Amino acid sequence: MNHACSTPALAIHDLKKAFGDLQALKGVTFSLMRGERLAFLGPNGAGKTTLIRCLAGLAKADHGEIFLAGQPLKSIEARQQIGFVPQEIALYGDLTTRQNLEAFGKFHGLRRRELRERLGWALQWTGLEDRANDLVGTFSGGMQRRVNLACGVMHEPRILLLDEPTVGVDPQSRQRIFAMLDELSAAGTSILLTTHHLDEAEERSDRIVIIDQGKVVADGPIDELVKQSVGTQRLVRLRIDRPLSSPIRAGVAAGTASYGNPGEHEISTRIDDVSKHLPSLIELVRRRGYGISDVQVESPSLHHVFLHLTGYELRD
Amino acid sequence: MILTVIQISFRRLLHNRVELLLTFVVPIAFFSIFALIFGGGLGRGTTPRIKVVAVDEAQSAVSRQAMTALREQNSLRFIREGTQAELTRNEAMDLVRSGNATMAIILRTDSSMLAAELMADASDQVASQVVSAVVNRAIMLSEAENQVSQLTEDDQNSEDGSGVAMVSGEAAGESFGIEESLQPQVEIIDVMGEGKANPVVSMYASGIAVMFLLFGATGGGGVLLEERENQTLDRLLSTQMSMDQLLLGKWFYMSVIGVLQIGVMFLWAQVIFNVDMTGHLDGFLMMTVVTALAASAFGLFLATLCKSRGQLNGLSVILILTMSALGGSMVPRYLMSDELRQYGLWTFNAWALDGYTKVFWRELPVEALAPQLAVLLVSGVAFLLAARFLAVRWETN
Repeated sequence: MNHACSTPALAIHDLKKAFGDLQALKGVTFSLMRGERLAFLGPNGAGKTTLIRCLAGLAKADHGEIFLAGQPLKSIEARQQIGFVPQEIALYGDLTTRQNLEAFGKFHGLRRRELRERLGWALQWTGLEDRANDLVGTFSGGMQRRVNLACGVMHEPRILLLDEPTVGVDPQSRQRIFAMLDELSAAGTSILLTTHHLDEAEERSDRIVIIDQGKVVADGPIDELVKQSVGTQRLVRLRIDRPLSSPIRAGVAAGTASYGNPGEHEISTRIDDVSKHLPSLIELVRRRGYGISDVQVESPSLHHVFLHLTGYELRD
Repeated sequence: MILTVIQISFRRLLHNRVELLLTFVVPIAFFSIFALIFGGGLGRGTTPRIKVVAVDEAQSAVSRQAMTALREQNSLRFIREGTQAELTRNEAMDLVRSGNATMAIILRTDSSMLAAELMADASDQVASQVVSAVVNRAIMLSEAENQVSQLTEDDQNSEDGSGVAMVSGEAAGESFGIEESLQPQVEIIDVMGEGKANPVVSMYASGIAVMFLLFGATGGGGVLLEERENQTLDRLLSTQMSMDQLLLGKWFYMSVIGVLQIGVMFLWAQVIFNVDMTGHLDGFLMMTVVTALAASAFGLFLATLCKSRGQLNGLSVILILTMSALGGSMVPRYLMSDELRQYGLWTFNAWALDGYTKVFWRELPVEALAPQLAVLLVSGVAFLLAARFLAVRWETN
């Protein structure tokens, strides 16, 4: 991550947007630093797409401001500092890779030499040099995603908005796409991506912003969010050789601690320090006459944080 | 299994309003339009009236009687009636050439008998047959009445009763002779089409071209909806391009394709059916460019009016087929009643076809295309502005 400058590349302040009676954004505030990779998460209908559309100039906020490197984002020229990659494959399937890249380069204002240079870079970046003259409509989903991405960065934007960039692609293509994004990030491009792949967000971003019902409910690096929400305790699962006859108590002195439910083959609990508490737990279970066939230790993840903050209720 | 397939097919049909409309409403609508065209109106069964002008060069009692009889005919509509000056033969011919009248009836005397010249516009093949029959009948009846009245006068001058019977017998015997001698000389003269290709060919070339131009334009407009559905429009609008530029770009492109489409069609018509396109290049280009611009704007208007490609497909089929039926792309407008012809003026097809007819058939100077060009151009601009207005919702929603 590069934080060369303290002024955020993008700052969103108290953004509000309503569609009739529906308040899609209820005062969203957060920022994106230069070269930062930010995962913008939220359940369906939380307001992610509305925010992205406001940033891309496709929707007008009712209230609030957007700043780009400290300057209000108002003119079309300023908006050109932003690259937008929609969720759908927004390409011309009946044009070749080269023709698509050329077209979107021109739409972004690139001319002649600059366009030629960027075209060469984009083909190399996507790894599609040998498919430059093939129709995009004949490509696999992963290849189309790469071209989709390249068309959004032909004009070398400072900020890249990505709406679900890896939806419907295989793990190999996903890996490739994130490697491409890492390259951009290393070159100083700030990346804001929405995704429902929480593992991806956890692994591939520097910071997480979670939005729910139009409000930011979490903002920070994953470790911080874990600490603030679900805590750092590990979830331990012990698989036992026969159903539990009664809960296992951790001795008379401890009094309050008891593990497992009668009739179940598994004992699960949360522990603070795995190296210290796990051996004593295993020993306790064995002393009660149960054999242990498997042990699982689960760290708190973004998945737990997300569900903890947004709840389990279906949103659509 | 089969029952389930039928069941889900019915359910899907019930959920698809456009398909329901195309299945049940459009056929009824088309049947009604054609019934109106060929039936002449809602259950009236009247034939359309043919617009004629008449010149009485004979200026005799018989010709005046024939003229009166013609004016009483339901199938004819006399125009330029009640004007101060009498029409001359050349003026009447000009009215036919310009399309203001379908036929000119010139009554003249030929070997002391009343004869007629029918100056016809051969593009209306029905009118000349109808008018010829009507004029034949009117002249025969007028001549017959005239001769009978002369015989009656002779009869009154005779002195004895036996003469009455004889004269009656003679009259009866002569009456057959009268009919034969009264067979008038009615000559149909084509004032338009000497040496030209069949007028129906150029009419259908333009009719079909305009209909497919409209289909092409709505197809082109549909691309806009496709781009919206797959978010390409969002991506385009996030670049330096504005909606104005996008719509204008599509408008010009669709218009160029339209011009090429009609050009190819007429080139084919020239090579295969002898329609003289190159001989009327100025008028052809003017009409084609303006028609293509107007049709493209109409396609964009329909696209911006609809929410999905499916909706556009349904709506465009209904509108274009209706406009083509009413506007003369499918059935010549001269077969329609006056009322339907007036309705037809609300369609692109009618104005475009009138323009092409002026160019290829009537061979009028390009100045005569002014009304058609003006109407098509104004409607094109109006549709383009409406499309721009409707597209606002895609920019800022």
